[in-house]
Amino acid sequence: MPVSLPTGTLVAMKGSSRIELARGRARSAKTAIGVLTAVVFGVAFVGAKVHAPGHTKGKAKSLGAPSSFERAVKRSIAQGGQIAPAVQPPPVSSSTS
Amino acid sequence: MSADLVNRFCAMGCAVATSGDFRTPAAGVLESWEEAFSLFRAESELSRVNASPSRVLHVSQLFSSTLEIALDVAAETDGLVDPTLCGRWTEIVVSAQLLSRPPGLALDLNGVVKALAVDEAAAALDGPGFVSVGGDLAVRGPVDVALPVGGAIRVVAGGLATSGTASRGAHLVNTATGLPSESPWEQVTASGATCLAADVAAKTGFLLGTDGPGWLDERGIPGRFVALDGEVVENPAWAFATEVEQPCM
Repeated sequence: MPVSLPTGTLVAMKGSSRIELARGRARSAKTAIGVLTAVVFGVAFVGAKVHAPGHTKGKAKSLGAPSSFERAVKRSIAQGGQIAPAVQPPPVSSSTS
Repeated sequence: MSADLVNRFCAMGCAVATSGDFRTPAAGVLESWEEAFSLFRAESELSRVNASPSRVLHVSQLFSSTLEIALDVAAETDGLVDPTLCGRWTEIVVSAQLLSRPPGLALDLNGVVKALAVDEAAAALDGPGFVSVGGDLAVRGPVDVALPVGGAIRVVAGGLATSGTASRGAHLVNTATGLPSESPWEQVTASGATCLAADVAAKTGFLLGTDGPGWLDERGIPGRFVALDGEVVENPAWAFATEVEQPCM
């Protein structure tokens, strides 16, 4: 006795395959959009970090005397001061300690 | 500046005199420097650095910048004022907050620390005045200052320092020999753009002996030298600056 398939089965299988293909394309598109978003975010983040004036570019350093002050101190190591004749009784004296 | 307004106390092992009625902020500034650089405090950063067997050490920003200044002073004075006291200052490297030096090579930053502390304390004054530590001083505004073996001058700007053997004996070391310096001078007083500059000039003038007055004069630094026999020698820069103008007849 010949086996007969119900009418419309092949059509149903063919329709299911098309849906799977569509789902696959949608999954690929979502993945591509996700990757693209991550890449764009990463590039924008690095770009902002490097170029935006409000973002620090160097490693944070502890506070200390400004380099201009240190240079001034170094420049004045061999530089004379200003003295003049005394005009009143001195409140302090210079001596060896 | 009246003598009535002078505040006196002890810090850094020396007599301190400051203008004004209160110790602060000078006392606080001096204490912070002593805390970091005293060789008589085992917990000071300098004592801990000297005790460390490591070749490379991480040090504070203050320690690093102070040692850099000490090395600049050593270079400027051809090693006469040397933070190692033994002529090995060229073996020290400071980069950012890293210090590299041969293990066992001890540092003595007293050659610059007291003067730097005086400069910082003077900068912290509220207004015109002075800070003197052990006779080395920095001024903000004109201050009259008495000199060794008599006389006085007006320090208009910068600092004034005296080095020699009158108080502590032969404590200045000739780094070439490692022995106490044999200088023809008992005390040398110098004027500098800062107390540090004055102190370095006074020490160098003392250690250079008879070449001292000329060395200071070549750099335009006023220097006053008291010889062992009490004779007072002023270099031309000092004599010119303190010359009293005679009224026209």
